[in-house]
Amino acid sequence: MVPPAPIYLDHAATTPVRPEVLEAMTPFYGPRFGNPSSTHRWGREARAALDEARERVATCLGAAPDEVCFTSGGTEGDNLAVLGGWRILRDHGKKAVVSSPIEHKAVLQAVHQAAKEGAEERMLNVTRDGAVDLADAATKITSGDTALVSVMWINNETGVIQPVAELAQMAKAAGAMFHTDAVQAFGKVVVSAKEIPFDFVAVSGHKLGAPKGIGAFYIRRGAAIEPLFFGGSQDRGRRPGTENVAAAVGLAKAMELAIAEREAHWASLEQMRDRLEARLLERIPDAVVHGRGSKRAPHILNISVPGTDSESLLMALDLQGVACSSGSACQSGSITPSHVLAAMGVRADVANAAIRMSFGALSTPADVDRVAELFPALIAKARGLSGVA
Amino acid sequence: MTASPRPTRPRVLAAMSGGVDSSVAAALLVRQGYDVVGVTMKLFKDGGDLPDRPCCSLDSVNDARRVAESLGIPHYVLNLQDAFGRDVVADFVAEYSAGRTPIPCVRCNTFTKFRDLLAKADAIDAPFIATGHYARVADGRLMRGVDDNKDQTYFLWGIEREVLSRMILPVGAMTKPETRAIARELGLLTAEKPESHEICFVPDGDYAKVLERELPAGAPALAPGPIVTRDGTVVGTHDGFARYTIGQRRRLPGGSSEPMFVVALRPEDRAVVIGPREDLLGRGLTAEGVNWLVDAVPAVGTSVLVRIRHRASPVPGTVLSADDVRFEVALEEPAYAIAPGQSVVLYDAQGVVLGGGIIAASRRVLPVRAA
Repeated sequence: MVPPAPIYLDHAATTPVRPEVLEAMTPFYGPRFGNPSSTHRWGREARAALDEARERVATCLGAAPDEVCFTSGGTEGDNLAVLGGWRILRDHGKKAVVSSPIEHKAVLQAVHQAAKEGAEERMLNVTRDGAVDLADAATKITSGDTALVSVMWINNETGVIQPVAELAQMAKAAGAMFHTDAVQAFGKVVVSAKEIPFDFVAVSGHKLGAPKGIGAFYIRRGAAIEPLFFGGSQDRGRRPGTENVAAAVGLAKAMELAIAEREAHWASLEQMRDRLEARLLERIPDAVVHGRGSKRAPHILNISVPGTDSESLLMALDLQGVACSSGSACQSGSITPSHVLAAMGVRADVANAAIRMSFGALSTPADVDRVAELFPALIAKARGLSGVA
Repeated sequence: MTASPRPTRPRVLAAMSGGVDSSVAAALLVRQGYDVVGVTMKLFKDGGDLPDRPCCSLDSVNDARRVAESLGIPHYVLNLQDAFGRDVVADFVAEYSAGRTPIPCVRCNTFTKFRDLLAKADAIDAPFIATGHYARVADGRLMRGVDDNKDQTYFLWGIEREVLSRMILPVGAMTKPETRAIARELGLLTAEKPESHEICFVPDGDYAKVLERELPAGAPALAPGPIVTRDGTVVGTHDGFARYTIGQRRRLPGGSSEPMFVVALRPEDRAVVIGPREDLLGRGLTAEGVNWLVDAVPAVGTSVLVRIRHRASPVPGTVLSADDVRFEVALEEPAYAIAPGQSVVLYDAQGVVLGGGIIAASRRVLPVRAA
């Protein structure tokens, strides 16, 4: 028997490079290989491509080109904002860094590092539905002592959309910098510096069909960061190191495509996600969909079935050709309890059963149908009920 | 990644520690056509204090994964830290606190590998579970491994008997040199990994460090107490009876006319009891928490081979009493340092494991029984 085609339901982890993106990058792995800092013809060709990519990325973010840095990805952008921002602001006597317990580890660990360097760490409360509590934020984002606020736009485990517009306003009113990790948000919602007064934004290429190892980092004019790297003067000294020209060109292409397709993409993802969610809840009435009471991005379905464990389910799904994920994995690859679900007050045994399915470019309605059949069967097995398929 | 041919035999969940034995076990099963799924168990946290552990360290997980990749089989890392902490580490600490000398590997096999890991096998429809143990299963019976130096049945007596029919122990039929030869022949990157006899979660063999970490400050097991002779004479003090083991000679006060050894630990008054070597001699023992791996509980008078420590040759003995939860055996030759908390395993003359238990007490003098 030929096994059915595998199903990739882990777009929140990474996505394949889009053919248009690969095509746009190809010349820079070949004849246009120059170093953009070189003054000769090859250098100028590369510089032209990099400048153009920066302008296009800036347009995608509602920003000016000098407000855009190229980074290695989301983690670097988050570190630049939190640590780079904090290290400048501490010299101005502000000591509090406000963040949320549902952030990606790239933000959380950077905040912890800032705390080691003297920052006061203030974590915002999160509702049971996975959104940062604005009333709590109003008491913790305080004038005078808050250096920086960092709250993600869309949570990578639940898809819950965070109130970043309100938080950015609060930060601005308090005279604090505002950073948002928009790694899951770009291409799903409008991420524009013209609409929301954020100071820093981190975007990752590989969630959008660009390669791994490239990201965009927005720094509002007038906002300062201390660099993480030291070396050349590339990216105005904010990010020294020879620029990854090919990947920057690819990122520009991927961001433009994501914006052009955003609304249609949202509708199609939402249809698939809602259909799968409805069918799973129909077959497994006691299943818990995390963040269901909040406004969610359409590409993530995070579901727990009490009495099962995600580790076993993920293995069983993978061996059936279905790729999903759970909370965060540690370096060894073993599954660790989700800090996001814990912060939402989800009971540990329910959190330990969480399966994240995330939709994207590779997803089809046929995938939904197959998973809607397969998942309940695996659940029945995991719960020790045989003969249910 | 080498693509394996489509498996023709059932699915096997292979526990891969990253060592040579479990690597070869998985490789042999792939070669035999099984649908092998490799897993590495994370049993305790990576700690800076445990950099080069035989298992559970990042390096070991990476080795296991690289072997699985080279075999073309899927590999997963399973987080069993909570269960292992509860079933193995907590018991380890409790036993030392009670003046006994535990063998955590026995409980790891009983609970973690052949119960919890077996549940993972169920979840992926794997009828079998494989490990790199040097032991054999034949006709539903557990038997000593072919390699006398490596036989690990001493650690396996506690598993549920029903599990035996689901166990595949590919290296049990080989000697260690043969295992290594196969690893080299297959080009497995773990082929030359050194042997380890340490307890995986104990750094540098210093189990007291684990107790210090797990027990509250001032716990009696680690608090000072008297060193006494059998007649009650106090001859010194110690810094915690749990730091001492039956048969130990180090760290005892000198001044006796003959070498003195730890002969008993008495948690009631925190005493470490010492005596001359002959006080360590046991002519029999009682066991509790017994698990039988054969149809019938051995009858009184049955001749058995008795093993009271890993890698010691089993010695002839006789069953004095036995039921579902305990047994008592007499040893033909007295044995030294029979330590409560250690395991005792009974074999028949063919090397079949009859069962085993936790040593409750050593008998210096055997009870007189009616013949």
